[in-house]
Amino acid sequence: MRIDPARLSASEQLRRSARQRRARKLVGHAIIYAVMITLACVFMLPIFWMASTSLKLPRELMAWPPEWIPSNPQWGNYAEAFGKYPLARYMLNSAILVIANIIGALLSVPVIAYGFARFNFPFKNVLFILMLSMMMVPGHIKLIPLYVLYLRLGLIDTYWPLILPAYFGSPFFIFLMTQFMRTIPRELDDAARIDGAGAWGILYRIIIPLCRPALTVVVVFTFLWTWNDFLEPIIFLRDYESFPISVGLAFFQGRYSIEWHLFMGATLVSIIPILVVYFFAQRHLIGGLAAIGIKG
Amino acid sequence: MNNAFFKKALTLASLFVLLLCSMGGVAAQDTVTLTWWTTSGRDSPEPAIRNVIAAFEAEHPNIKVDVSIMAEGAYNDLMSTAIAAGEGVPDLAWYWSNNWLPQALDITDRLDNDPDISRDIFHTEYFNNWVVWNDMVIALPYDIGANFVMYNKDVFDDEGVPYPTADWTPEDYIEIAKALRNEDKRRWGGDRPRGPFRALWRNMGATNPYSDDSTTVEGYINGPESVAAYTWLWDLVDSGATPTPADLEVLGTEGTGPVDLFIAGRLGMATLNPGSMVSTLEAGVNFGVVPEPRVPGNENWVHGWALRAGIWKNSEHPDEAWEFLKFWNGPPGQRILMEQGLGHFPPIPSLLAEYEDADTDWFQGFLNVLDATQTASWRKDHPCWRGAVIRGVRDAWDLIMLGEIERDEVQATLDAMVEPGQAALDECVPRLGG
Repeated sequence: MRIDPARLSASEQLRRSARQRRARKLVGHAIIYAVMITLACVFMLPIFWMASTSLKLPRELMAWPPEWIPSNPQWGNYAEAFGKYPLARYMLNSAILVIANIIGALLSVPVIAYGFARFNFPFKNVLFILMLSMMMVPGHIKLIPLYVLYLRLGLIDTYWPLILPAYFGSPFFIFLMTQFMRTIPRELDDAARIDGAGAWGILYRIIIPLCRPALTVVVVFTFLWTWNDFLEPIIFLRDYESFPISVGLAFFQGRYSIEWHLFMGATLVSIIPILVVYFFAQRHLIGGLAAIGIKG
Repeated sequence: MNNAFFKKALTLASLFVLLLCSMGGVAAQDTVTLTWWTTSGRDSPEPAIRNVIAAFEAEHPNIKVDVSIMAEGAYNDLMSTAIAAGEGVPDLAWYWSNNWLPQALDITDRLDNDPDISRDIFHTEYFNNWVVWNDMVIALPYDIGANFVMYNKDVFDDEGVPYPTADWTPEDYIEIAKALRNEDKRRWGGDRPRGPFRALWRNMGATNPYSDDSTTVEGYINGPESVAAYTWLWDLVDSGATPTPADLEVLGTEGTGPVDLFIAGRLGMATLNPGSMVSTLEAGVNFGVVPEPRVPGNENWVHGWALRAGIWKNSEHPDEAWEFLKFWNGPPGQRILMEQGLGHFPPIPSLLAEYEDADTDWFQGFLNVLDATQTASWRKDHPCWRGAVIRGVRDAWDLIMLGEIERDEVQATLDAMVEPGQAALDECVPRLGG
């Protein structure tokens, strides 16, 4: 059977065109991956440098040429860092603060935001603007009045000053959550109400399950901010054993010098929980951020 | 029977509780608890701090010390907050910021009338310059420090350059730095000074940026000695033997001098401090210590300092706090810290002589540096030096550091600083004194 040369040519052209499209797609993907891998390497460089420094001797820190992978890694630096200061205890303290703050944020923020998003009451807009204005006040300005307040309440050198505010809601999170709740159709509330649900039932059965992306943002940001908080713990805590890891790391900066090799080892260990949380939460977090409309 | 038994039991229990309460009352009256904020570092590790307190409490069973040990970087924020709040300041604390000094108790009479301690045991210059304020003793000195030039003996041997000696000159410094420079090893000969009118400027004869009576800038900022010092700096920068400000921004250790570069052998000489000696020793680097260079015939100056611990003026237990202060800053506490800390240098000469490395060359070099006249002896009575006038002078410094003026423009550049410098001085003196 003979094949029409014209048809052969057309099908060959189609196949060639498909091959070219595949090749172009492949090249496009290769370029995108090359750029992404390069950027990932650039962003990983400080962490790699941190890991490398944590395994060096002091005289190797600034040596030329720099040794990216130490020929004689000093694993003992980690033991020395953790032996010198109670860093494990500090990490546990940070974990306690993080958990307490997350619970506080999850209990308070949805309730307050629900009020603003779904109910009408006198001075609602004034209160909302007042709450938003608190976001504009730098934290440092509040420090001295808070110090006096907690001192008179006898709460200095306890974790209460670091935990209590979370149970009254963060303006930033309340604003986020309010905006998110306003995007949820009120028809769902009406349907639930017809089925006999009250205000609390609607909140816990309808609104909160739909707010999971926003709640993830609240959890992850609370984790990050509490874990990294430095200023408030140094003002409100006194006991050497009670500091969080953010303050514990500062012990490596002495009056005249910084023990870089130990500092980097301790810092590397201290960021592991953040990396783990981000690893598991990133899908929800990115979805949540996109849904709420936060950029950067 | 049961009722009678319960009545007796209740009476006995009540009596027991009353007894306990009264015992507690007696104990509370007899025991005073002091609050004490301190920092921990290599020179004063946490166990050593607790050992000093334990030794003190053993001697004074009626006084307890509730110590808060915090990170160096955390202390300033906490102390500033407490002082601004006007409450919650501890009985005893570090008063290393001048802004806190008005909050410290005047301990002049206590010191002068206490048979257990005397101001004579302390290094005279460090005592007078750092704990005497407005003619009052407001603290006791602790852990003295100073700037000096450390040189890496291995680098010198590597390049075949003789070690510097205590009588070296600023010109020697440039020549040695040039001889040590090695581009293949990315090594600089020495670092640059950290600011004008410190010890090195004074060693070159440029003593002050303005007159002693704080009235005149003309002839001081732009006087011949000042021009000579700035021209020396220009020559040093031009030699290429020193790291640039950008290099140090990336490679220097924050605020403490380029000790890491020095330890790595990439800097032959560096102007450092006692803490750097400890770091260098730990790293196993062979080094020596000399004073900053000086023009022959000029007075020998040093940029030195002492930390100071004091009593809060509103302390409810000033007598007990004084007992602890003189123990902590006096020979008993300082000896424990010197023996158990790493690189703790007490301001008590008789104790310094007992330091475990007292016989080494580097320690003797350090002791020699301490005996020079302190820049603080002028600066403490001339607050406008740093508060205002130095800002005008700094422009000339930066222009030279960045290589933006020629050597023959130094005089004109300093002349141009006279007018803004004078205006700054006139504005500052009524405000800060001088």
